[in-house]
Amino acid sequence: MECTVLRDEMIEVLYGEASPRAAQAVEEHAAVCASCREELRALRYLREDLGAWRLRESVAPRGLGSAPRPWRWPAAAALFLAAGATAGFALSEARLTRLLEARDARQRQEIAALRAEVRSIPLSLQDDSAVLAQVDARIRQSEARHAVFLKERLTDLADQTDAQRRYDLARVSAGLSYLDGRTGQTVARTAELMGYVLQASQKR
Amino acid sequence: MGPTDEELVEAFRRGDLAAFDVLVRRWDRKVRGAIHRILGSEDDARELCQETFLKAYRALGSFKGEARFSSWLYQIALNLCRDRMRRRKGRMVSLDELEEDGKAIPTGRPSALDLVEARDLARAVATAIAALPEEQREVIVLKEYQELTFVEIADILGVPLSTVKTRLYRGLGQLRVQLERQGIHRAAPVPAALS
Repeated sequence: MECTVLRDEMIEVLYGEASPRAAQAVEEHAAVCASCREELRALRYLREDLGAWRLRESVAPRGLGSAPRPWRWPAAAALFLAAGATAGFALSEARLTRLLEARDARQRQEIAALRAEVRSIPLSLQDDSAVLAQVDARIRQSEARHAVFLKERLTDLADQTDAQRRYDLARVSAGLSYLDGRTGQTVARTAELMGYVLQASQKR
Repeated sequence: MGPTDEELVEAFRRGDLAAFDVLVRRWDRKVRGAIHRILGSEDDARELCQETFLKAYRALGSFKGEARFSSWLYQIALNLCRDRMRRRKGRMVSLDELEEDGKAIPTGRPSALDLVEARDLARAVATAIAALPEEQREVIVLKEYQELTFVEIADILGVPLSTVKTRLYRGLGQLRVQLERQGIHRAAPVPAALS
């Protein structure tokens, strides 16, 4: 940027952090300074371009109080203990132990709840057919959920495939046009050469 | 409106271990995203994000509360990133990784060409950011993608506000140059002084 008079203020304006006074100063300056006006415009375009880089959404951690899948806390805790020991930190091992115990307790509660649910199936009736019917109903529910999930995934896949197909067709079409052009040029060149040959043979 | 970070920190210190859970859930995605963009690797981001929270857990007892919890967390994450960069000796992420991670998703119902162009642009941006000097990359990531204020960034990096703005301005200038080189011509011509 050639003009650096209001550079900091311009950056503030760009990110919406300028005071009203600074914003007004930039606006007034940009009205008379083509360099700054162009700079501001270019930086706004650049910010739009930067927005193109998006990260994949991955599973958010569930923390300590729930399933440890994304965090692998036991391994992390072991790492933590090892790191703390070697670094001579006043490691609150007791606190970590309490933490892990609390999580284990919660998991035990969850398991107990599941067991209670299983027990709630009316086995007391000693009727195998009723139990089988319940199991059958659970399986059907599970299958229905999977069917919905599968349908959604297939729809996504179809969309992606369709987009890819349209892109491939566009490329094939562009390639054919190119070849058409090349073929036409070759024919014209051949005709021209034939003309030269004929002229040469006629001169002889 | 839930409890503030500082209230959760205080609760944790009083023995409410679940408070740390809430802090992890609240900040994990942001911290992971920042590390991902600074190092250019999703695997590194996952690993260093866990390390960040483990360090935070370990040091929370001695956290003075002079800075905001989030600033303190970002400081830990950035220090881990710098260590990782030093061990890599400046090696940046491969283009294959960027190809995988740098996907842009156009809104609406994009055509196939839109998708290809958006992916190319995302890849170009990721590559250009990876090529920035570390200091500029940090500021660009914190400002552009973490949407922190200038004051927060100055606080995290421990530098004056003017330094943050200078690094940001230079970083943006470098990005324009890099994108121009990669054939992204939407931005205005780059001044000779920057190229």
